[in-house]
Amino acid sequence: MEGNPVHPVAAAGSVADVVDPPPAAAPVPSKAASLTPPVVLPSGWQRGLTVAIASGALLTILGFVFARERACAGMLLASHYAIGIGLGGLMFLVLGYVTQAGWHTAFRRVPEAMAGTLPVGAALTGVALLGFTWLYEWSHADAVAGDALLQEKSFWLNTGFFLARAAIVLALWLVFARLMRRTSVEQDSTGDVRAVGRLSALSAVFLVIFAITFSVASFDWLMSLEPHWYSTVYAVYNFAGLFVSALAAMLILLIVLRRMGPLKGILRDDHLHDVARLTFGFATFWGYIWFCQYMLIWYGNIPEETAYYVTRSNGAWKVLMLVNPIVNWLIPFLVLLPRPAKRSESILIKVATLLLLGRWLDLYLMINPSIAPGGPALGIWDLAPLLVALPLVVLWCYRVLGRRNLLPVGDPSLGESLHHHT
Amino acid sequence: MTSRFVIGTFGDESHLLAATTAVRREDYPIVDVYTPYPVHGIEKAMGLRPSRLTWVCFLAGFIGCMLTLFFQYWTSYLDWPINVGGKPFDSLPAFIPIAFEVTVLFAGLGVVAALFVRCGLWPGKKARPPTPRVTDDQFALVVRLDRADHSAAHLRALLERHDLVEFDERIGEESP
Repeated sequence: MEGNPVHPVAAAGSVADVVDPPPAAAPVPSKAASLTPPVVLPSGWQRGLTVAIASGALLTILGFVFARERACAGMLLASHYAIGIGLGGLMFLVLGYVTQAGWHTAFRRVPEAMAGTLPVGAALTGVALLGFTWLYEWSHADAVAGDALLQEKSFWLNTGFFLARAAIVLALWLVFARLMRRTSVEQDSTGDVRAVGRLSALSAVFLVIFAITFSVASFDWLMSLEPHWYSTVYAVYNFAGLFVSALAAMLILLIVLRRMGPLKGILRDDHLHDVARLTFGFATFWGYIWFCQYMLIWYGNIPEETAYYVTRSNGAWKVLMLVNPIVNWLIPFLVLLPRPAKRSESILIKVATLLLLGRWLDLYLMINPSIAPGGPALGIWDLAPLLVALPLVVLWCYRVLGRRNLLPVGDPSLGESLHHHT
Repeated sequence: MTSRFVIGTFGDESHLLAATTAVRREDYPIVDVYTPYPVHGIEKAMGLRPSRLTWVCFLAGFIGCMLTLFFQYWTSYLDWPINVGGKPFDSLPAFIPIAFEVTVLFAGLGVVAALFVRCGLWPGKKARPPTPRVTDDQFALVVRLDRADHSAAHLRALLERHDLVEFDERIGEESP
């Protein structure tokens, strides 16, 4: 129990001891809202982030004028980074619901708020995809006309169908995120146990939909940047990176919320330990898939497949490609291996920051070699869109967090979670 | 040297946990705790040091990885180079899957072997539970009584505060 003062709620046993299904008409405390201090972003931060968004937007527009291709690629990267945080939060919830896990209930509102940023990610993705002419070779009729392979693929890779698919994919994600959030929030006031089953069923359906839609999204938005090349493991690879970055963001958010007060006495070291274990596991999964994709292409040695890695072995791209697995797998793996590291706030913050930088590098390597095959040119035009996307996600996340109880007081597994022990 | 051992038996894990914590606070040396299933938090209550098996696991895995990489270099590069599909002789990517498998094998077998050796679990080893019911529904706490200022009566009073089921004293060379 050391380092984990028992939260008054848990100690009093009022919410914590709700083990039996509560009667339909809500024994849930009306004082629920005052159980935790409100989640507010310090006004200094708020101002800083707003300034960042404004200047980032200005620079992005300037970039669009002066270095159009780079600005568009930067926007695609930023939007994919942002939507990854939302999707990762949603996937964390979905995995919890579908397995009916109880350990994370005490801090479930945090991944919920991350999933709540999906509209931001979707809007940014929408803006980014509107730059398709400057991103995708297959969107040019003259390029397709002289290219047998692109003609073959044109039934799938054509502008109208591409944008329609994107709209359907984004709409499905938003609808499911919304449905799950609503069911979860309603349970706060009704205390209805049946919500657990509903969320579980919803999640099972979403898992199937997600597997398909996310593959479509990865193949369309990122892989088709190099339309002659293909890799069937690409979507899995992209998902691994996405989930690691979302877990890293969640670790930072959890630690910040505990230090600033709202989660003090609720979030235990044991919770951090388990999230850190997931991060550790998925970083390794990412490394595994990274190697899978590389090794099979290297071993097969077929020109249409190796083209991807040939570009990435040019000039400084090669250095970045070798740094990628070190940052995203080797260092997190070695650092998070000992048990105490997974319970230490300061170590977790550092590893999570490294992984968030790593996700940027990974996406940069997935996107930018297609517009600059000779070697990377990194400058303000590439980074400006991130200056819009990331602060926007943070602001939105805090907005969602501040709107409801930080504790899902109607969930029967809350007591179990408050006493979680690893 | 013979010692006196005291065995306190409980019917519930929460009583065992509380009793173990209390006994440790009074500075009695705890020999071991016997439970029918793993009890969360008992290692903390007993004041056990963090397990060093993790290091055995890491080192065994590391040795497995290095040995396998070396073995593959030796066979396909140093000793008898074979041209496979036009690949270079020292093809690291092709060596990694096998290195990974053997890392896992060494780490897994190494840590299990280390556990067996450390616990003295050789084949044919006889189980010596302090009472057979610790394999069913009871929890036993074994304490060594060898200090002059420690008395069985005091210990018994301490344990009785936590719903003691049975109290037994034994004298022997090693713990029961």
